[in-house]
Amino acid sequence: MSSRTSRTRRCAAGLTAALALTLAACSAGSDAGGGGDAAPGEVSGDITLLTPIYEGTEGQRLLEDELLPQFYEQYPNVTVTVDYTTYGQLNEKLTTAVASGLIPDVMMMGVGWIEGFADRGILANLSEDAGYTQADLEADYAPQIVEAGMWDDSVFALPIMLDTRVGVARMDLLAEAGYDHTPTSWEELREMAIALTERDAAGTLQRTGFDIMSTDLRQGFETMFFSSGGSLFNEDFTEPTFNSPEGVETLQFLVDLVNTDGIEDIGFTSTDAEVNPLLNGRAAMGIAHNSLWTQAEDAAPDVMEHLQPFTIPGEVPGMFFGGTMASVAAGSEHPEAAQALTEFLASPDAALAANEQRGNVPALTELLDSDYVQGNVMVQFAMENLDVAQREGGPPAWLEIRGDIKPAIEAALLQQQTPQEALDTLADAAQAAIDR
Amino acid sequence: MSTSTPAAPPATSAAEVRPSRPSASNRRDRRARDRRRFATRSLLNLFLLVGAFTMIVPFLWMIFTSLKSPAELALFPPTFWPQEWRWENYPEALAAAPFHIYFRNSFIIAFSHTAITLVFASMAGYALARIPFRGREWIFMGIVAMLMIPTYSKIVPQFLIVRFMPLFGGNDILGQGGTGWLNSWWALIIPGGLSASAIFLFRQFYLSLPKELEEAARLDGLGEYRIFAQIYTPLVKPALATVGLLTFQDSWNNFLWPLLVTTSDNLRVIQVGLAVFQQLEGTAWGYLMAGTTLATVPMVLLFLFCQKYFVQGFANAGIK
Repeated sequence: MSSRTSRTRRCAAGLTAALALTLAACSAGSDAGGGGDAAPGEVSGDITLLTPIYEGTEGQRLLEDELLPQFYEQYPNVTVTVDYTTYGQLNEKLTTAVASGLIPDVMMMGVGWIEGFADRGILANLSEDAGYTQADLEADYAPQIVEAGMWDDSVFALPIMLDTRVGVARMDLLAEAGYDHTPTSWEELREMAIALTERDAAGTLQRTGFDIMSTDLRQGFETMFFSSGGSLFNEDFTEPTFNSPEGVETLQFLVDLVNTDGIEDIGFTSTDAEVNPLLNGRAAMGIAHNSLWTQAEDAAPDVMEHLQPFTIPGEVPGMFFGGTMASVAAGSEHPEAAQALTEFLASPDAALAANEQRGNVPALTELLDSDYVQGNVMVQFAMENLDVAQREGGPPAWLEIRGDIKPAIEAALLQQQTPQEALDTLADAAQAAIDR
Repeated sequence: MSTSTPAAPPATSAAEVRPSRPSASNRRDRRARDRRRFATRSLLNLFLLVGAFTMIVPFLWMIFTSLKSPAELALFPPTFWPQEWRWENYPEALAAAPFHIYFRNSFIIAFSHTAITLVFASMAGYALARIPFRGREWIFMGIVAMLMIPTYSKIVPQFLIVRFMPLFGGNDILGQGGTGWLNSWWALIIPGGLSASAIFLFRQFYLSLPKELEEAARLDGLGEYRIFAQIYTPLVKPALATVGLLTFQDSWNNFLWPLLVTTSDNLRVIQVGLAVFQQLEGTAWGYLMAGTTLATVPMVLLFLFCQKYFVQGFANAGIK
């Protein structure tokens, strides 16, 4: 499975470079028109949907047998052709689609992706075309989530589902060590992590006090970084601020946890591990994805009552979110139909069904009261704390920059570079990408 | 006519007729040699056994993982043998996506690539090895240079060629207006039909054959095509097996290209189907390993049938 990760990274690096060369020449202007004023019966056209969710039999059944028939009831003159892909290959799929000029009418993409495609004129401006305003959306979503779909003060995408990274503690293991609460500060987090780490007589790690290896290192670092009060870029996204004092302090904290305190060994676990170490007792605390709850339902129902999510307690509560958003192609020949489908997919019923199918966090705050959310501790916690959640991304060059973050963190953790050196090198590369 | 009595053979004693018995020291030497030989062979067999075991363990792990429940996969320390053999992982994995279509598509594509490669790469390899013509070395150097181009750097240009293919998929003569070969068998089969590495391997094999065969064939009046087809190619069966197997394997494992050029489930392949089990939110290891086990079966069978030629091919090509 690790080969898959490296293959994806190679693909992304190569194709992102190709994207930069080809997008400018091939992108269409924003002439979508539309506006959503037409009656549903008057909206017509054959449109295409590119989606990294709904794949697999269950997802396809949900989309094709339940959701699209509902859409067709409202818009009988619209036909949707679906192209399923994986998130790992979405960038390649979009890049080649844009380069060839055959851009899907409706595209689902991740948080942090919108800026790059909006900046190059690939996405329709929903503020101009459909009258969406930031203020309107903030009535239904947390402001940070609305911002994830915006570029240049305009709305370009509607949020559908979020996936969050939060701290999670095994309260039964904490109780054995005499703790009855989750950490309240970085200092306490460190103290508890040291106390909860177990090694055998030979020094082999048996249990990590705080697992940072089974979450993508970039996202784990960012979760901690956000809790330090730092931000990835300056306000107008023209300069990276990874290497700010907060960034260096965060990375130094992680380096010390691993190399000084020995709370986790490199290779003890990974993102490719068969099961999250929190579920089999190999970790007492860690940074985890909200899907940990649904994984526990399958793999370790006995530990579910002991799982306690918490925001990382730094200068501010730290929580990371990514997610999936729906956008309309600027060059769509049927902008009203594409816009109608986008709105339908982001509507409460459709979004709830999609989130439930994948065990993810609905973006719409009104869904907090749904049975699904109330029955999923991790999702419920994430939704209740969306106001402190922060996302990655910002500049149009984010897809280029993000690939460099993990190697920089690894270099520091492996003590090949100091945190300051690693982050300075990263910031230089990011600045070069922004300036291109 | 003279008669002569043949000379009587010299009298020999019974002891001389019987093979002489080795002396005690010779017997000791032979026994020591046998013991040394036995020890060496045992050591070699042990080494090979360990090597074979190391090779087969990942496959065993894959098969056993495909038969475990999610709860067992979560155990630490992990189990090697399944505690409960969960055979239903297989039908459940197959039900998660239309794998019968994916298998069919993968087989059609892999078979087509193999056939195209064996026919055209062998011709190209023969021409580069045995037919002198102006620029032959330059063409060969070009093919060697092609070996050094990373696959991923070719994807966007290759995609554009497919997309703008004239007179296909609604395109006009200039390749505009339609979708070209996208979402069609053409896109899946033609661009991957021939590889520089296959041409290179065939050239090396044809080069290793003696020139006298060609000269004799020409004296007998055979033309170039018959020399290629009837004289030389039957002698490179190991090359055919090696290149065929490698091509089939490459094609069978291809993931990115079929994903990029198709949008319809009816044209998707087995590797794309397997990706369903590996999502951002987590991996369904039991199903993934069940699907992967099934996906390896054709390759294992193919290797079993071709292994004799395959090993010969690698030995002859000097890449063992």
